[in-house]
Amino acid sequence: MALTFREIRPGAPKSNPFTIAIVANPVLEAPWNSGAVIADPIMGSLPIFQAAAAYIDSSLFGGLPGQREAVLADPTIATAIRVVSLFDDTLPVVLGNALAAQDGSSFTLVARRSGFRAFLAQYPQFHIQTDVVYAVSASPTHTRASAWFTSDDDAQPGVPFTLDGNAFLHRFYNLIPGTIAIPANSTSLTAIHEFGHAISSYTNGAIVDLYVDSNPGLNNKRGRPIPAVFANYSGTTLASDLTRDGLGYPGSWSSYHCELVDPTCPAVMDNYWLSRSGSVTCQHDRITRQYILDRVRAKAGRP
Amino acid sequence: MQPLKPNEQQAILENQPNAQPEDVEEYERLLSQRFTVDPDAAPNRAPGVAAEVGEDSEARIAELHQKLYGRVRSLVESESR
Repeated sequence: MALTFREIRPGAPKSNPFTIAIVANPVLEAPWNSGAVIADPIMGSLPIFQAAAAYIDSSLFGGLPGQREAVLADPTIATAIRVVSLFDDTLPVVLGNALAAQDGSSFTLVARRSGFRAFLAQYPQFHIQTDVVYAVSASPTHTRASAWFTSDDDAQPGVPFTLDGNAFLHRFYNLIPGTIAIPANSTSLTAIHEFGHAISSYTNGAIVDLYVDSNPGLNNKRGRPIPAVFANYSGTTLASDLTRDGLGYPGSWSSYHCELVDPTCPAVMDNYWLSRSGSVTCQHDRITRQYILDRVRAKAGRP
Repeated sequence: MQPLKPNEQQAILENQPNAQPEDVEEYERLLSQRFTVDPDAAPNRAPGVAAEVGEDSEARIAELHQKLYGRVRSLVESESR
């Protein structure tokens, strides 16, 4: 029984660097919102957790074999990002230590987002003030990752941006960080797909799934016919993706997306498994990539 | 939320004769939509995110889950006993 903490990337030498935490989930709530708990099997498997943490870090920084999307490896932010991992198998099996839950109506793992701050506060020696947190689970039945957006602290300052003439801010701080529940055996772009959701915000730009007929968000709009212009982001006009790569928009959909960086592959937030050149080759669309870059840069540069 | 792989969607339709591609589409859409509303500040929706979420949506998700995975779910539950 031991506590294992690793600083995978040190980040900027300051008291509040932009921080991504990867935590072995000690306890599963099963099913979600029931209050019933079981030990997460990841607790018996430090090597499996460490392999998952290495995968997540590689995926975030473009290090998977053949991976092309590497927004966090941008030289203006890469060295400012702190990445830590935490494995603690000394904890009791109680609801307060459940960071992930098994959804009773799907095979999706769900982050218990409101519990992360208190959980990490148990480790003041590691100074883990997070912007995005992954809870890694070895649930034998629930094998799909999911994420909640960040709840920004809208009382705190940030870096302003505009979206179609409306003013928003990349807030420096959060009330609840972006939270992700992810299976330990995840592969390909799953880690950065979920990061795309988690780094976005309930009040300052939401990055939604593009593989369903989603409601509007930063990266999705609705309407037909699809206009040539998708959006104006901080003075830059971005085109619409008229064809959704080669996937096409189903006839029943109203959604349409922003132009792709690589029009031969689906966007990372779309169904990357459908890429004809391999799922790891997918990249973000233009507005998603610029938003993530700007948001991380703003948070990394906070006073 | 992690998208389904093509073979996973195919397996659903093969294992559940009553399931239709539109059922999978609706199920995936509602599941994805669940995460677009802040559960700790329900009225505080992300800009532009509309309202088809909540208890009615959760009931429909559960109904579709039974339709799409009923037999699989029974197997999982019996194996875990």
